[in-house]
Amino acid sequence: MDNLFLPRVARIAAVRDETPDTKTFDLVLRDGGERRDFTFVPGQFMELSVFGIGEAPFCFASSPTRAECIQTTVRRTGLLTDAMHKLAAGDEVGLRGPCGNGFDVAAATGKDLLFIGGGIGLPPLRGLIWNVLDERDRFDKVTILYGARTPTDLVYKGELDEWARRGDVELHVTVDRGEAGWTGNVGMVPTLFDRTELRPATTLAYVCGPPVMIKFVVQDLLMRGFSPDSVISTLERMMQCGVGKCNHCCIGHRYVCRDGPVFTYRQIREMTE
Amino acid sequence: MQVSSARTIGKERTGEWIGRLIENAEVVAPTAAQAGDVIFRKISSPVEVQWGSDNPLFPPKQVVLPQTDPLVTISRGADGLVVEPVYDERPRVLFGVHSCDVKGIDFLTRMHAYDLADTAYLRRAAALTSVSVACITPCPLGFCICCDAGPFLAESFDVQLTDLGDRFLAEVGSEKGGRLVEPSADLFRTAEAGEVARRHELEEAAKRAFGPETCHFASAMRRVSVGRVSAELWDEIAGTCLECGACNFVCPTCYCFSVKDQGRDGHWVRCRTWDSCQFRAFTREASGHNPREAHRERVKRRFFHKVSAQYFRRDGAVGCVGCGRCVKVCLGTTDMPAVVAAIRKGAWHG
Repeated sequence: MDNLFLPRVARIAAVRDETPDTKTFDLVLRDGGERRDFTFVPGQFMELSVFGIGEAPFCFASSPTRAECIQTTVRRTGLLTDAMHKLAAGDEVGLRGPCGNGFDVAAATGKDLLFIGGGIGLPPLRGLIWNVLDERDRFDKVTILYGARTPTDLVYKGELDEWARRGDVELHVTVDRGEAGWTGNVGMVPTLFDRTELRPATTLAYVCGPPVMIKFVVQDLLMRGFSPDSVISTLERMMQCGVGKCNHCCIGHRYVCRDGPVFTYRQIREMTE
Repeated sequence: MQVSSARTIGKERTGEWIGRLIENAEVVAPTAAQAGDVIFRKISSPVEVQWGSDNPLFPPKQVVLPQTDPLVTISRGADGLVVEPVYDERPRVLFGVHSCDVKGIDFLTRMHAYDLADTAYLRRAAALTSVSVACITPCPLGFCICCDAGPFLAESFDVQLTDLGDRFLAEVGSEKGGRLVEPSADLFRTAEAGEVARRHELEEAAKRAFGPETCHFASAMRRVSVGRVSAELWDEIAGTCLECGACNFVCPTCYCFSVKDQGRDGHWVRCRTWDSCQFRAFTREASGHNPREAHRERVKRRFFHKVSAQYFRRDGAVGCVGCGRCVKVCLGTTDMPAVVAAIRKGAWHG
């Protein structure tokens, strides 16, 4: 695209409630040519705008192997997300991107994959998870560990059931606090490590969630023998442009929007500012 | 500079030259404003040019990077929303700037061309030609000599004038610069060897006129780049910073921005607006989490971006042209030379 700031127009095809404050949007680019040419890799993000309100970065929550629509899952936390939550099917939004580097899917070929998500951290992993499941033969063991504050805060509840039923995925879900009717695990995400067989030498671990969760999960993984190169996360920072110009998302001389948002733990550890 | 490329123009003829420039382009020059201030703005007559003034407090970066810069228009059409890019390619001449400001715009242009090309900026910059005046005496607060940004320029300029008393020596440094001089060849004559020699004498004299204490970037760079500046020192420096952002807004090389939509009811303009890394909200996320909540982290960030080796390697220069504006504008004295000295010495003396 010639102009870095020019959004495409996308129509909302459907909106689904995930939790009381989180919705998933199905987006379809309005222009047929743009729709056909649009490609992305899991882990990249887009800049979505509600015109008149503003623009912010959101991850692709869907997989490029399922091209019928672009999905993103949005928690209501500020002005823009509040405006997004008021939109309905048929409304138009601006979409720039894809931005950022994304996950290196080719490098994961033949590996065991361990996905560790916390709360609203599952959506960025979901795109990669579906990419992996749609090309399941390319990968070895697939394990998904997911935690949220309460059962109500779990996103993609239908898909969690679907993954639980599949024989080629190992899924463990936990919540910090149970609710009436919850019969599953209660405890922080790292408590799930003892429920699965970890194979650090052959596994890539993808970690996404709130900073405090990432901190404890990464510590745990390193203690259990994972190399800093095989622990992969996606970082978040306040962003404006998404194209490496505005300087809001810098960590040292790295730009989360251009050099990331996907980094290995080794890269994260070596960042200085 | 090749002797054959240099010309001279009598001072009595510069008015006619500027008049011709005004006919073909928007000419922006230092002009007299209220209460003795000098500001860069569009001129309609050669007499408005304030020759020989110190640097105006606001640099001319607004010519290439307006404080509010329209990028995209959004309107409602029959088939839904219509989005269109905004480009500003008006021919402009920036006349009478000093060397440091030419280097500032050169820096901004490199930043916007780096990695993904920012065409909105680059097209505006491509339509701009500068006519700079070399500094034969250092300005009171300037330290361009430490930043390879003056007092005279060896590169990056379009046309460089040197004051030789009753005339200017004019050097053409680019094709764009040539297009300002060639059509007015009748006003210029080829420079004589003595005139060119005089220009070099003036440059050497100007360089010698800088004081011994200016701004020693190298040792500060070593410490900043490896994080060897104590949190206590950043705290002390932050303690006198008022978080006003003035240093950013008067800096010829600062370009951080935010993007906002202006307008209402289906007629919006998406604009880039200047922002400041010294503001707490610059990195505050929607969740409320802020990686630079502490004031010292924001001050540290400013100087990491300006003087770290990591950015030096990327940008090919420190993020400073030694214009002295932050020294003038900062009420808290956390200006570039003061902070660089503090980092180098490991102690803050205000």
